[in-house]
Amino acid sequence: MEGLGINLPGLITQIISFLVLFGVLYALLYKPVLRIMDQRSQKIREGLESAERARQEAVRSQEEMQKKMDEARAEGQALVAEARGIAERFKEEELTKARQEIVGERDRARANIQRERDVAIEELRQEFAGLAVSAAERVIERSLDKEAHRDLIEKALQESSELKRK
Amino acid sequence: MARFLSNPKVLAVVLVVGVLFLVGLLGGALGDSLFGTGFLKSPVAHIQLPSEHLFTDPFISLGPPGQGSFFITNSMLATWVTILVLISVALLVRRRLSLVPRGLQNLVEVIFEAFLGLVESVAGAEKGRRFFPLVITIFLFIVTANWLGILPGFGTVGRLETADYIIEETRHRIEEKGEKEHKTIAVIEHEIEAELKRLKLQVYDGSGSVSFMPLGTGTKEITAYEYEEMKGKGDLEGRRVGLLVPFLRSANTDLNSPLSIALIAMFMVEFWGIKALGFFGYGRKFINIGSLLRGKPFGIIDAFVGTLEGVSEFARLISFTFRLFGNIFAGEVLLVAMGFLIPLVGIAPFFGLELFVGFIQAFIFAMLTLVFAVMATAVHESGEH
Repeated sequence: MEGLGINLPGLITQIISFLVLFGVLYALLYKPVLRIMDQRSQKIREGLESAERARQEAVRSQEEMQKKMDEARAEGQALVAEARGIAERFKEEELTKARQEIVGERDRARANIQRERDVAIEELRQEFAGLAVSAAERVIERSLDKEAHRDLIEKALQESSELKRK
Repeated sequence: MARFLSNPKVLAVVLVVGVLFLVGLLGGALGDSLFGTGFLKSPVAHIQLPSEHLFTDPFISLGPPGQGSFFITNSMLATWVTILVLISVALLVRRRLSLVPRGLQNLVEVIFEAFLGLVESVAGAEKGRRFFPLVITIFLFIVTANWLGILPGFGTVGRLETADYIIEETRHRIEEKGEKEHKTIAVIEHEIEAELKRLKLQVYDGSGSVSFMPLGTGTKEITAYEYEEMKGKGDLEGRRVGLLVPFLRSANTDLNSPLSIALIAMFMVEFWGIKALGFFGYGRKFINIGSLLRGKPFGIIDAFVGTLEGVSEFARLISFTFRLFGNIFAGEVLLVAMGFLIPLVGIAPFFGLELFVGFIQAFIFAMLTLVFAVMATAVHESGEH
C-alpha cells in the first residue's frame, strides 16, 4: 500500500475534501439551480396552458358573437317583415277608405245633380207651362173655347211629366 | 486542399506548426538519437506512484518520525485547487441566478439538464432526483481535476529536493529496514551503495533561490553515487543536483483521490440499498442461506451467489479506483514521454487525447455509480422460483 502511495492521512484528507465540495455545491448550486429550472418549466407549462385556454376562450366568444349576430339579423328581418305587413295593411285600409269616400262623394254628387236637375226641370216646366199658356193664349185666343183650352193644357202637362220621368 | 492552403492565414499557421514540429523533432530525444541534435532535450521527469510531499517536514506529526505523519502532497493541493475552481463557478452562478438564464448559468444548466435527463432516464424521476447530486459531483470533480491536470505548470514547476536530502532519506530507509530484518552492517552498506547507484538525479542551473533545467541537458543526469563522488572531489562547480518536486500534480494520479471517491460512492450505494430494502432485505443479497436452512439442497447455489455478490461489491471498489487512476496516470506518463521525444508541438495531439480521456473517465465513474445505485435499490424477488 505504501508503495502505491495509499496512506490513511491522505485518504482521509481526500474524503473530507470531496465531502466539503459535495456539501458546498449542493447548497450553492444544485438546490438553487434545480429549483429555478423546475420553476421555469412550471412557468412555461402554465403559460402554454393559459395560452390554450385563451385560444379556446377566443373561439368560444367568437362563436357566441356569431350566434348573437345571426339572432339579431333574424330579429331585424322579422321586424322589417312585420313592419312591411303593417304598412301593407294600413295602405289597404286607407285605400278602401278612400275608395268608399270617393264612392260616397260621387253618390252624393249624383244625388245633388239629380235634385238640381229635378228642381231645374220643375222650374222649367213651370216656366214652360206659363210660357206655353201665355203663348197659346196669344196664338189661339179666340179659336179655343174653354173646353178645348183645358184639354190642351192637360196634354201639355202630361208630356212634361213624361219628360220629367225620363 | 490547395485552395484551402492558398488562404494566407491558413498557410502561415500550417508553416509555423510545421516548422515547430521539425524543430521539436530535431531538438528532442528522437532527433538526438537519430541525428545527434538534442538541443531541446531534457531528461525524462522523475516518475513515481506516491505523490510527492510539498514540504520536507510533515504538516502534522503523530508518533515517531516517519510514521503516522501527515504530509501535504502536491496532489492534495491540486484537489483543493479543483475544489476552489468549482466553488468559484458555483458562487458566480449563485450570485446572479435568475429565471431568465444568462452567461455562465446557461452552461451550468445545459450540463445539469443533460445529466438530470440521463439520471432520470436510468433511475426514474423520483430516484433520479435522489442520486443526481452525488453523480454530478463525482462527474464535475473528476473532469475538472483531469482537465486542470494537463495545464502547463502541473508537474513542471516546483521546488528542488536536494540530492543530500534524498540520499539521507534513502540511507535512513534502508538502514531501518535492515535493522528490522537483523542484517549485518556490511550487508546494509552494500544495499545502500547499490540503491545509490540506481538512484538517478538531475542537474540544474540556477542562481539564488531559483533553479531551472537548461535546454539540451538530457545527458546531464547522474546517479546519486556519482553525485557523492563528485561532491567529495569538489567537481560540482556550483551546479545544483536533486529532483523536482512539482507544486501541482493532477489529483487523480494519486491513488488516494480515486479511492476516496470510490469509497464514498460505494458507501452511498450501500446506504441507498439499505434504505430502500431495509437492513435485512439488503443483507439477504449477500448472505442468502434462507432456502438452505429450509432444507433445500439447491439453496447452496443461492448462498454461493450471495458470496459472489459480496466479492463483486469489493471488486467494484478496486475497479473504480484503478480504472480512473490508471487512465490518468498513464496519460501523464504519455505526455511526459512525448514531451521527451518530440517537444513543442509533437505533444499537442496527446493533449486532445487527454482531454477526451479525462472526460470519459469522469463520465464512466459517475454513470457506474448511478447504475450501481439503481441496482442496489431495485427490489429483488426473494429467491423462490
